[in-house]
Amino acid sequence: MTATDDHVQTSGLGFVGQSVKRVEDEWLLAGEGDFVADRLPEGVAHAAFLRSPFPHATIDKIDTRAAKKLPGVIAVYTGAELNAHANPFLPLIMLPDMYTPLFMPLTEDKVRFVGDPVAIVLAESRYIAEDALELIEVDYTDLEPVATMDQALSPTSPQLWDKADGNVLHDGSKTYGDVDRSFAQADHIITETFNCHRVTNQPMEARGTVVELDPITGHMTITSTSQAPHVVKWAAAAMTVTEKGGKNFVSFLKSKQRRSNFFAAAKAFLKEHKDALKQQDRTGQNQQIKRDRSMLKHQMKMAMGLLAADDYPTVRAGDIGGGFGSKGSVHREEMATIVAAKMTGRSTQWIEDRVENLLDGGQAREERFTMSLAIDNDGTFRGLKCNFDLDYGAYPSFPIGGALTQGMIRVYMPGPYRFPSFKFTSRMLATNKGKQLPYRGPWANETWARERIIDVAAEKLGMDPLELRQRNMYGAEDFPTKMVTGPTLDVTMSCKGTLDRAIEEINGLDLAAMRAAAEARGNKLGVGLASYHEAAPGPPDFLDAITPGNDLLAAEEARATIDVDGKIRMYTSQSPHGQSHATTYSQVVADEFGVPMSDVEIVWGDTDTSQFSFLGTGGSRGGPIGGGVMKYSAREVREQVNDLAAEMLEASKDDVTIIDGNIHVAGVPARGITYAEVAAEAAKRNGVTNGPAFEVVRGYKGHGDGGWSVATHVAVVEVDMGTGLVEIPKYLVVEDCGPIINPKIVDGQVRGGVAQGIGMVLYENLVYNDEGTPQATTYMDYLIPTAMEIPEIDIIHLETHSPGENDFRGVGEGGMIGAPAALTNAVSNALGVQATDMYLPPTTILEMAGVIEPD
Amino acid sequence: MRIEVGSEIEISFTLNGEAKTVSFDPRRSLADVVREDCGQTGTHLGCEHGVCGACTVLVDGAPSRSCLMLGAMADGREITTVEGLATDGVFNHVQQGMWDAMAFQCAFCSPGFIMSTMALLEENPNPTKDEIREELSGNLCRCTGYASIIDGVMAAIDNLGDAQ
Repeated sequence: MTATDDHVQTSGLGFVGQSVKRVEDEWLLAGEGDFVADRLPEGVAHAAFLRSPFPHATIDKIDTRAAKKLPGVIAVYTGAELNAHANPFLPLIMLPDMYTPLFMPLTEDKVRFVGDPVAIVLAESRYIAEDALELIEVDYTDLEPVATMDQALSPTSPQLWDKADGNVLHDGSKTYGDVDRSFAQADHIITETFNCHRVTNQPMEARGTVVELDPITGHMTITSTSQAPHVVKWAAAAMTVTEKGGKNFVSFLKSKQRRSNFFAAAKAFLKEHKDALKQQDRTGQNQQIKRDRSMLKHQMKMAMGLLAADDYPTVRAGDIGGGFGSKGSVHREEMATIVAAKMTGRSTQWIEDRVENLLDGGQAREERFTMSLAIDNDGTFRGLKCNFDLDYGAYPSFPIGGALTQGMIRVYMPGPYRFPSFKFTSRMLATNKGKQLPYRGPWANETWARERIIDVAAEKLGMDPLELRQRNMYGAEDFPTKMVTGPTLDVTMSCKGTLDRAIEEINGLDLAAMRAAAEARGNKLGVGLASYHEAAPGPPDFLDAITPGNDLLAAEEARATIDVDGKIRMYTSQSPHGQSHATTYSQVVADEFGVPMSDVEIVWGDTDTSQFSFLGTGGSRGGPIGGGVMKYSAREVREQVNDLAAEMLEASKDDVTIIDGNIHVAGVPARGITYAEVAAEAAKRNGVTNGPAFEVVRGYKGHGDGGWSVATHVAVVEVDMGTGLVEIPKYLVVEDCGPIINPKIVDGQVRGGVAQGIGMVLYENLVYNDEGTPQATTYMDYLIPTAMEIPEIDIIHLETHSPGENDFRGVGEGGMIGAPAALTNAVSNALGVQATDMYLPPTTILEMAGVIEPD
Repeated sequence: MRIEVGSEIEISFTLNGEAKTVSFDPRRSLADVVREDCGQTGTHLGCEHGVCGACTVLVDGAPSRSCLMLGAMADGREITTVEGLATDGVFNHVQQGMWDAMAFQCAFCSPGFIMSTMALLEENPNPTKDEIREELSGNLCRCTGYASIIDGVMAAIDNLGDAQ
């Protein structure tokens, strides 16, 4: 497709700030996307998994003989057979008072949830592979399931993991400020327990992996639906190390090249991260090792294998059909597919189907919060206590499991409000369900619980919930200050501005008339509001408050190049899956270089051409961090171009300007030169004949500018007292993510997040029954909202500037964070009954309203 | 017709205006035949049980779930997928409308929405927003909250008007 006019710069006008049409759509809308299932290498084997039909059972015997005999079957591997060629998933982020079980790609001896993969079949087609699954005979002995958090807490329940304390994987607490004194002195203590149900991320494209093996070199290229391809690369390399550590160590020692490379890299790493390494809290790691010493042995084997390897896999990600956090994990099926490809020597693909995705593509948010708010008669918050339980499911997610989620919920819990003291007590509970992993705005539940207890308190004290928020929220006059949990709040924490504006907008509605009209229809009307702030990317001390010394997690580098032909190519470590990086980064970079967007190519999703990144795309980091390093690296190359062009133009460096790709002395555009000419000159001087004439790598190390992204959401709901259905006549988001790169893209992120929040409250529920059997395994049972259910969503943008050079702030998660709280507050307001469950299907609403009796 | 296990079936149909004759395992879905046997991967599989609508194609002009149809059922029929809409590399009115409105994000669901919109506008060239919401409620999108897709349909209607 041809680029339209809006990709060509009109002199003097930048692209940043404009709703430039998406570059990605040129191929996506043509049906020319490069999604994982579209990659069908010649002779590829199709993988399918045999999954446990039981939530909790021992595997006594597996017979795969009949399956192996089926024509078209290439291989069948049981857990024991495949795992012999693999290493376990090890915990990376370890929390004090937490034990993280080690686990293998396939399960061998015991299944722990319905869907647990016990065998893999490789066949000439997916159809044949699924036929073969039916021919595998497994003898199971049923065990009592652990289906709920209360069952997990019961001392009589069977244990999922032998080395854990019952089914409690973590039990710890942290106190900030003098919480006992706050609670002793406060006029009131308001306590309530809130329950969040299990939901699932559900990107429209399920997971998938295509493993290609070079027939001559054996080099492995993995195409993955991964939000973080570099993590897949290193996991694949480490987990497929088969030699024992000693042999690899000898091979490492024998190679002078390997030795010197390693020691140089280690020295540089230790030097660069000296301070961070000192800050790290190793309590969790030490406790983990104490509980399971085998971790050291596995670590050693994998480390030696990596040191001795000559070749590591290449991981690439093409177009990805959404992720919402679920594709940030490295999945067991992906590792099993990689190991099976290695074992058979065949290129292999695994394309997950929807039933599999609902069983184990990623589940989230089944949490319980007991909140206690200490508050004075005048409405001043004195302190907050939260007891938090997380239903962890059966297996940990890798590499970001419950430890990081717990840390984020802990740090964010006090929100944008002044709390002099806070105590957070948390438990993580193993149950026979699909794995818990991050879901867009992993701390959305914290916002929900906090904003709910504020409304509950307002009702109990007879106060206006909006005024109560205004009274306690940090405002511009408070900055700089620190949250009670540690992170610094600066001018970008402009939540109060969004709250004040939202209240103005509510006051502008004729709620009395709307309420009267609703009541005339036999319905009830309510209004609810919720505010939050999120680190996007947050102040330098943000990650330290969650996991000290680990800001390497947020580090990211970009590579900016101009090839000898003058083409600007930017290499990002981000792995976009719907966020429109190719468009927004082209806007940022084209502005830096003073060229049309079509002169810029954004290259992503290839571990061979991008710098290492732990997180890839996720956590609202794409704009501030990914976009920030685009800007910094591009700017540095532009300076180099500027200096060389000044020589070529025989002008002073300060007089050179670039407009529409014309590099010239200001005021003399007719005598300008092009990027191609400057690149050719640079190449000539450097003796480069192809590839980059200019090249710069710049990083964002987690410590930088940027700041907080904030919003207040308002929902007006009309509840049908006959059916219990909820209409949303008005939904408003007032947000501030600083300067916006592309307004329509930002609006899309906000609206999409709100839609997921609405879905979570009114429609989506990943139900397991009390025996641990999943009840929602198709889209007939798991209800994704359609165009009929999602209302018009109005957005007001406020724009607070920070003094930082890179002022973009992330916005991807916000919609999802604010919506459940605003919506449940509105329903509670309509019914005059405080909701304590997040899930509000019609039956619950009618029960709350007293129309029907509870079960 | 009795089909032996392991045998193949041969059918002829029109795919995006091009005559095709293909042989395949008779149990293969139309989606797999179009995507894998004909190599046209623009049609996507989201749920494979007929709910999400990503696999929607036009069969003799009618929107159909290609995941729920057998490939064999395409014999003698005319199948249109998203690849069949542009002319000489220029988007048709629906694709252009979706581009103008920046309708999609990951766009995995887009082939289904685009084909459903083709069918909608064929039947009702001037739908209201409510009619669009209802007609497109058989297609799921997880990214956008739908507002931009509905704007895309409105833009497609404008594009069609401009062209006439």
